[in-house]
Amino acid sequence: MAKQQSREQGITLRGSAEMVAEFFSYGINSILYQRGIYPAETFTHVQKYGLTMLVTADSELKNYLNNVVGQLKEWLSECSVQRLVVVISSKETSEVLERWQFDIECDKAAKEENTPREKSQKAIQDEIKSVIRQITATVTFLPLLETTCAFDLLIYTDRDLAVPEQWEESGPQFIANSEEVRLRSFTTTIHKVSTMVAYKKEAFP
Amino acid sequence: MASDGNEWELSKENVQPLRQGRVMATLQEALAQQDVSSHVAIQQQKREFESEIRFYCGDDPLDVWDRYIKWTEQTFPQGGKESNLSAVLERAVKALSEQQRYYQDPRYLSLWLKFGNCCSEPLDLYSYLHSQVIGTSLAQLYITWAEELEARGNYKKADLIFQDGLRCKAEPLDKLQSHHRQFQARASRQAIEDLEEDYEEESSLSASEPQRTTLAELKGRGKKTGRAPISRVGNAVKFPSQGARLQNPASQQVSNCPKFAVFDENKVVASRTEVPVLVPQPWAAPPTIKAKENELQAGPWNMGRHPRSNMNSSTVAPAALPNFTPYVEESAQQQTMTPCKIESSLNCVLSARKPGKEDDPLRRVQNHQQDSQEKKEQPMYCKERVYAGVEEFSLEEIRAEIYRKKAKKKREEELQTIAQKKAELQRKIEEMEKMVREQPVNHDQKPYGQQIEEQMLVDVTSDVPGVLKRPMTQRQTSLTDTTAFVERPLLDCFSLKSRFEQDGHRKSSSSDSEMPPSVIPSVPFSIFDESSLVENQNVSLPTGPPLVCTKRPLAVRKSSEGIAAKENIPPENPDELHGIEPLSEDPIVTEWYRNKTLCPSPEDTCDFVTAAHVASTPFHGVIEQRSLLDESKETCPEPQAASLSHCTIVNEDQYAEALCVKKLSPIMEASQEDTRSSASSSSPTQISINKFQQIPEKLELAQSCTDELVSDAENSSSNSAERLQYTEQRKQLLQPLQDFLTKTPYFKLEPQPMPWVELEKEVDIGNETYSVTREYVISEDDKMFFAVLTIFPPETSKAFLIKVHSEPVPWDFYITLRLQERLDAGFDQSFSDSCTCFLYNNGCVTLHKDINRFTLQDMIQQCKVIPQEVVLLIVDNLLDVVAKLHTAEIVHGNLQPATLFLGDRICDSFANAENASALKVVDFSHSLDLKLQSRMNLPKGLPIAQTQAGQQILDEKYLPYQVDLIGIANILHFMLFGECLQVHQEEGYWKTDRDVSQSVDSDLWSMFFVQILNADGKSTVSLLRELREELRGAFDSSFPGRVSESLAKLENLFNTENIF
Repeated sequence: MAKQQSREQGITLRGSAEMVAEFFSYGINSILYQRGIYPAETFTHVQKYGLTMLVTADSELKNYLNNVVGQLKEWLSECSVQRLVVVISSKETSEVLERWQFDIECDKAAKEENTPREKSQKAIQDEIKSVIRQITATVTFLPLLETTCAFDLLIYTDRDLAVPEQWEESGPQFIANSEEVRLRSFTTTIHKVSTMVAYKKEAFP
Repeated sequence: MASDGNEWELSKENVQPLRQGRVMATLQEALAQQDVSSHVAIQQQKREFESEIRFYCGDDPLDVWDRYIKWTEQTFPQGGKESNLSAVLERAVKALSEQQRYYQDPRYLSLWLKFGNCCSEPLDLYSYLHSQVIGTSLAQLYITWAEELEARGNYKKADLIFQDGLRCKAEPLDKLQSHHRQFQARASRQAIEDLEEDYEEESSLSASEPQRTTLAELKGRGKKTGRAPISRVGNAVKFPSQGARLQNPASQQVSNCPKFAVFDENKVVASRTEVPVLVPQPWAAPPTIKAKENELQAGPWNMGRHPRSNMNSSTVAPAALPNFTPYVEESAQQQTMTPCKIESSLNCVLSARKPGKEDDPLRRVQNHQQDSQEKKEQPMYCKERVYAGVEEFSLEEIRAEIYRKKAKKKREEELQTIAQKKAELQRKIEEMEKMVREQPVNHDQKPYGQQIEEQMLVDVTSDVPGVLKRPMTQRQTSLTDTTAFVERPLLDCFSLKSRFEQDGHRKSSSSDSEMPPSVIPSVPFSIFDESSLVENQNVSLPTGPPLVCTKRPLAVRKSSEGIAAKENIPPENPDELHGIEPLSEDPIVTEWYRNKTLCPSPEDTCDFVTAAHVASTPFHGVIEQRSLLDESKETCPEPQAASLSHCTIVNEDQYAEALCVKKLSPIMEASQEDTRSSASSSSPTQISINKFQQIPEKLELAQSCTDELVSDAENSSSNSAERLQYTEQRKQLLQPLQDFLTKTPYFKLEPQPMPWVELEKEVDIGNETYSVTREYVISEDDKMFFAVLTIFPPETSKAFLIKVHSEPVPWDFYITLRLQERLDAGFDQSFSDSCTCFLYNNGCVTLHKDINRFTLQDMIQQCKVIPQEVVLLIVDNLLDVVAKLHTAEIVHGNLQPATLFLGDRICDSFANAENASALKVVDFSHSLDLKLQSRMNLPKGLPIAQTQAGQQILDEKYLPYQVDLIGIANILHFMLFGECLQVHQEEGYWKTDRDVSQSVDSDLWSMFFVQILNADGKSTVSLLRELREELRGAFDSSFPGRVSESLAKLENLFNTENIF
């Protein structure tokens, strides 16, 4: 962070990874709040990206997320992560109800490069902001989650990556009959994150 | 923005969240056109739903409503007036309220619950539902109900509702239970929080600065301080749902100023919580829900008599001085404007139901039910339909819809019947095909017609079954004979003397007397009787040979006499009438026929044949008799003839197969026949002509049983029409060539009717009298007779060939002349060099001299195996002849073993091997002169093209020359295998079905077949030359010797045949 601020304009791989990880941290928190996975009381207000973000105050959840995001950051700087998925499933039936998918495109060339990319941090933050906003706005079309739900984080990485201890391999957990909505994407010029939400399609007319 | 598909985000505030979520596509679409109040497509869809509701005839009307409502929800994301959702819901629940079966249907309940959201007081609605037992077995009711109560802070009641649901075991129970658990968790948490807050508040209330109550009076009190009174509430604003606690201080405050009843939201909450509705009361009707305290009754504005307490706070504002601009909400302003009506072009709705203003929807539902309970008036129009949906339909629209529905139904029915018909036809076609396929397997040697005839005979002679047996078996063999020669165009029909006479008898008798024969008792001539004939047969058969002799005197029938005169001729063989029984059986026979419907189904040839008999043929059994006689004649004197049936039996299958395809129209023929016979009785001059024409007609019928090659696969009437056209064409072609024909000395114009040529009779042609000894039939119009001069005894096998054509068109002669002219030196012994033509008024006779009486067909039949040398010789000659024909631009068109006469090379052992040809081509009845005839109007009905192989190989645009190639292949096939050519396609090449490799010279022949069958567009002349060259390769030095050896053997065979 400090480096970026000193240079103001340049984006390095490390800085980019950090930014993207940060986005995920806030994004996941936002989803958890918006979708009511955890009680609203357990969230606190934080100013970020010029928005009032809600982040969990639950220490366990915090730890979990920090752990995930930390690992993610590592992979992001290695450019070995392809996709992060937040799977929301019913606690009782463990049926997948919602699936938030963040596709990450890494510019692997940035690993060798030493010169930072030209993109202002402000511009990136604006892009992130609009994505977060859209996540918030999805309540307009997402179905009501009527049962208590749990969430899972899936990270798609390169094949050759060793699975860390706290992680396990999993299936994609797709929704059988789903409606998919693409949200905005943002790019740091090194990482490009495009967001998509899939939800159960009911018998619509 | 619109381009990246994120409109939804911009108008997220305008999208009502739905329990089941939204379809993004619909949402986008709806938002994109949000400003266009009436999108055409949406209106149309709505219209469809509306009309579906009215005209639904399935058994699940709820489904329509369900879809309609879901569609409305999706299509109008912002809800509102346009969507008219509450009206639709109201209508739906009303319309279905009489359907008890839906009461426990989750869809119906969800309609109600959705409707509840539109109501201002859903709790009443829930208890109404409960009282009406709507959805009481469904968890969703209790969950929604409890949620609502919970939202209002009534945890106790909510818990009661849950308990009730659990007691009813509402489905799905686990869902209810989990909701209950969650509720309990929330409730207990809330209770703890409440306790904490209570405690905090109590402490804070005393400690912190008191808060003011809403809208409390701020007027200073007390004289000295002038301080506004502190009348504040605690956390009430922050947690309105917890207002219960604060109710007391608030009301205390309010009570301070009794003059002015200010609406206090806190109070409302309080009053609500106070209502102790723990047990749902039984409702007779849905409750009045709205707490209507703040609703203004309509009344005069300026009277001001109403107590101020009845006005809401906004009405107070105008009373104040207008030194500020009152804030007016944008939407409110819009409402003051007349909303833009839906364009009339799109919407022709008479009136749309709007969400009620004056009344609560639930109240209306309730009223509706009350109304329906005490319905007294009977609408005299289809009221339900006019008002069924949300929109009003005009009567015309309803009528139109009904009409449309009817029309659609009709159309569907029509389509269905068409489909059925199609299927049936298809099935029939398949059946036919199957039959055709099975036919060869089935060794039934008799065609339907003859089977039937036999059956008839059995019927007729059922009283003499023992006697019948013999003729039946006899006939079988004779049929073999008659039907055997598939490729031979027509059998010796002119030899149907006996039959003809019989016909004559019948005809004259019936036309003269116009009375059933049975009525006539007189015997100047014997009355023809079918039953008697059968009897007759039975009697006469044992004396076969002598009978034949009497039956076949060589007589020439003078044409002028005709049929009518026939009756004067004494019966030719009185023997035949020997055992005539009294005509007792005749009525039975006729009666049997009379009742028969003459309506043949096109597929049923049996019916056809039977019908045909009744309609056109006095008695068809004669054919059998005739052939029987023929057979007996053939078999009796010559033991060798037995081999005949042997070598031809193979053809039966093909024959039968061909028969199945045959479809005739008996009615048509019958009528033709009728008119002709009546004409014959009226004008004697016509008789001869009619008679002549009549024969082909009859022959045609006979032919339908005996020969399929000549006749088209379609019905024969069209065939004859084509033939007629064909003849006409030839006539026209020859018109300008009169000179060409007449200048030759061999052309004789005889301005008289054509003499009647008949087997075993004498005939005068020109100045000579010939006695006819044999008959060859080419087609209905063309017959050939072998004749000798009467003055010489018929010793020699070489004599005259009389070709009779039923039309005055000297086509044969013309072709012969043309050949002579075009070939010049090439016109060798393969053609008839001395040929004379006699053109009569009604026909044409071509007389060929020095022709051998044997045809190639005879040879094929006589020899079990034709010596290879002879085959080579014949094919070589054939190739040569056809090549010559084609160089002269003439297509033979009907190369058949039966029309090819054996030449001197085979028949005359003394003939010069160099000059004599193996074959003689005299018959050109189907030939084409391509110089004269443009290719455009070539007749389709060339006999070869009608054969199975011909139909397969020749496509739409075949060259006429190709016909002859197939003819050659066919002839070779006959010589090698004794049966008709059958082909199949293999890797794009046509091949014969038979395995050529078995025969001698297999390589040569297989090559030959491949080349000749796959000629395509190649020049036939060169192809024929090539083939001939290749054949010549087989002619080695020993060949002439072997040939003469085989020929000698053959000659022996023919010599013994001479009596024939």
